[in-house]
Amino acid sequence: MAMEIQRQDSGVWDDSEDNGSPGDRQSLRLRRVSSQVTQKNYPQFSWSVTPTETDREGPRGSQRDIRTLPMPMALKRAVRQVQQMQVPVVSRMDSWKRKKTKVLLKLKDDAMEILSFFTLWNKSLQMIGGNFGGGVQSYFLFLRFLVILNFISFLLIAGFVLIPSIVFSSVGTSFLVLNSTGLENCTKYDPNPQGLVAFYKYLLDVVSGTGFMEYSYLFYGYYNNTVVEDSDFSYNIPLAYVFTAVFYFAFCLICIIARMGTAARVAVATGGSTVSNYSITVFTAWNYGCLGDTATTLQQKNLHYQLQVDLEEERIKKQAAALTSKEKVVLYSVRVLMGFLALGLIIAAFYCIFLATNFSQQKSGTSGIQGLIWDYLPSIVITAANFMVPLLCDQIAVIERYAPSTTVIVALLRAVFLRLVSLGVLLFTLWSQITCDGDTNTGDCKLCQYNHNLYPCWETRIGQEMYKLTLFDLLTNIAVLLLVEFPRRIVVDHWSSKLARWVGRQEFEVPLNVLGLVYGQTVVWTGALFCPLLPAINTIKFIILFYCKKATLFHNCRPAQKTFRSTTSSFFFLMVLLFGWSLATLVLIYSLSEIQPSLGCGPFSFFPSMWSVVANTFYKLPTVTREFLFFIGSQAFSIPLFVLSCVVMCYFAALFSVHGKNVALLRAQLKLEGRDKQFLVKQIVELSRRLQTLHHSAGEEESI
Amino acid sequence: MGGNTSQLSKENVSEYQELTFLTKQEILLAYKRFSELYEDRRSSLDPRTSRIPLQKMTELPELRSNPFKHRICRVFSTSEVKDGSLSFEDFLDLLSAFSDSATLEIKSHYAFCIFDDDNDGTLNRKDLEKLINHLTSESEDTKLTRNEMEQLINNILEESDIDKDGTVNLSEFQHVISRSPDFVSSFKIVL
Repeated sequence: MAMEIQRQDSGVWDDSEDNGSPGDRQSLRLRRVSSQVTQKNYPQFSWSVTPTETDREGPRGSQRDIRTLPMPMALKRAVRQVQQMQVPVVSRMDSWKRKKTKVLLKLKDDAMEILSFFTLWNKSLQMIGGNFGGGVQSYFLFLRFLVILNFISFLLIAGFVLIPSIVFSSVGTSFLVLNSTGLENCTKYDPNPQGLVAFYKYLLDVVSGTGFMEYSYLFYGYYNNTVVEDSDFSYNIPLAYVFTAVFYFAFCLICIIARMGTAARVAVATGGSTVSNYSITVFTAWNYGCLGDTATTLQQKNLHYQLQVDLEEERIKKQAAALTSKEKVVLYSVRVLMGFLALGLIIAAFYCIFLATNFSQQKSGTSGIQGLIWDYLPSIVITAANFMVPLLCDQIAVIERYAPSTTVIVALLRAVFLRLVSLGVLLFTLWSQITCDGDTNTGDCKLCQYNHNLYPCWETRIGQEMYKLTLFDLLTNIAVLLLVEFPRRIVVDHWSSKLARWVGRQEFEVPLNVLGLVYGQTVVWTGALFCPLLPAINTIKFIILFYCKKATLFHNCRPAQKTFRSTTSSFFFLMVLLFGWSLATLVLIYSLSEIQPSLGCGPFSFFPSMWSVVANTFYKLPTVTREFLFFIGSQAFSIPLFVLSCVVMCYFAALFSVHGKNVALLRAQLKLEGRDKQFLVKQIVELSRRLQTLHHSAGEEESI
Repeated sequence: MGGNTSQLSKENVSEYQELTFLTKQEILLAYKRFSELYEDRRSSLDPRTSRIPLQKMTELPELRSNPFKHRICRVFSTSEVKDGSLSFEDFLDLLSAFSDSATLEIKSHYAFCIFDDDNDGTLNRKDLEKLINHLTSESEDTKLTRNEMEQLINNILEESDIDKDGTVNLSEFQHVISRSPDFVSSFKIVL
């Protein structure tokens, strides 16, 4: 049976070799010859993935071939005996190579096992996936990714900016030179509180980042432009600050793109179709290494969810395609109308945020609880808008009747637009106040090129705003948890009335929660330049969020009625995150290059812009390095590089299309072979029938 | 390991190393686990002929909760009475096919045999139905409805049955497998 299948696989065999040998020997010969023949005539696909197989196509037909025969041990032994009679000896080189690759594979496997042991929250994630499906699990996977990203960013910033600042604050020299005498007013900056401070003020200070927290390592204003220059060691804090910020952004970009790559590869490997490939799921999704009954049940539940989602999506698509044209027109016009309505809602929200920010800036300076409320007004309005508008859009989505995954993507897009651009509105308002609406030669901004009356240290102010947004986001989440979700469950469980049953238990809304994460991360990125410890705070915030969301998931939520797909959605979450990242990058580039840094605080007090510290250091580099860097930046280098990368891309595009055509060719060939088989089977049936009738008629004649 | 290696001679071990994808440690560990399961005190353990019955074999922790355990034992069993009992060499074949270094070809071949419930060389609708039931368990809350099952099997046949004969044969199966990046790492059992 095994040998027949083997022969079927080879496709073509060459009978010109020695024909008179017994069974085993012939099959082995055929195997070897056919592999060479298939190399010649047909496009070669290497089935093997492991590196041990690359030595296989040696001229001697090495020992490893035996192991790849799908036969029981006894047969393999016989084959080997036959082979040993032909092949004299396995070279020592081969066996050494084999041992080496085996050892490397074992090392790699051990390393993977150790890594998976240390992977954060592995067990929780498996439990979540088994009980609530892949969609909810993808949210928690995304959250874990962000926690690790933030933690590594914090280590980066701590290593290059925070710790040197602490260490060198007593050692280095700071610049105290004023370029011109008219700027004394600009350097006035005294955030330390005077005299006795009431206790509750400390709490207010922690929450809004003012007072004792303002002049600390938390914010930009505390760092000095210390420069340490020893005989063999020099460290320039301003330079380190700028480069760390830039590198932090680049690092986050690389991580996101790498992760997108893995998600995209899965999507491409499954043929890129929006409906998942059922055969691949059914044939390959089972993990045989799963131990224990609970893990097995979890896996089965997971697979069940996955299959259900896809089947339901397909059914809905079929329904949608089966509509008459009149119904289609009605449906599309309803969708367009609802789209406009959603857009109108979002624009109204923007206007409210703009008004609130202006009002808050006007009222800044009032003290006490009222002052706190005015301070937090932008955050409050943004959070309220982000709550209400998606709820309304959800109801709109019910009327629109898209397919489930499209509904999710549309909801996500709308919420993204709302959240990130509302953050943009806040930043825009701040900017217009700092730079007097962009015109730095009018009124308050004339003296110091920024509004030093309102903002003696504007970077710290922006840092404070971002810090407040982050804290407020966390507090809101916990408040909603405690005041809305738990009570809702208690009410629904213990009060059996029609209203309670209609409201029902909470469902875990994946897109909205993902949006919250993306928003939080964008705020952190925007504020990282001005509040270096913000990634650390964000790490702690996300860890707390993980446990809170997990608690609410298990206690308050029921499994989703409408199941949710996870393969394309992970890719989508990362795209949305990338959008947030680009918003933050814009802010970074603008702050680094355009605005005058505060003269009263921070490491860049006496530079015209933050980036100029890099330019100054650049000119201090040795001539050779400078020439080299100029050359790389010049056209003589970059244009040939660009042309070369275009050529390489064209090559890969051509290779890709060739492989696609190969796949199509082979498929057609398989079809033809199938038809040949059917044709031959029909012939055999025909012939045997004719033989039978012949026998019958011969038998009858004899009996007669 | 001293007592056991005297029963499993060095020549045997090196022979098994050449004929399977297992390392020396893996073979010795397999022998240890096999002899723990083998309870027949009448005869000593002969790697080629001593067999462990199916029921006992499925008590191995690595196989116990696997829904495919019966099929796996039957596929690798070379017993003449087709009762699914495994000799030590069958066991080594099993571990070799499920090991890390086994090739995609071997794995896909044996996966096909495991899924082929009626051993006719193709996956027809009944085989597919049994396979899906194994994957999603047959308890009430995770069972697919009749309609969903029909829809799923139709979709699978439409995607993978290239010659349109109503069944999935080995080449079509391997074609599907080649597009999945995770198959090699999920088709793994390690003692």
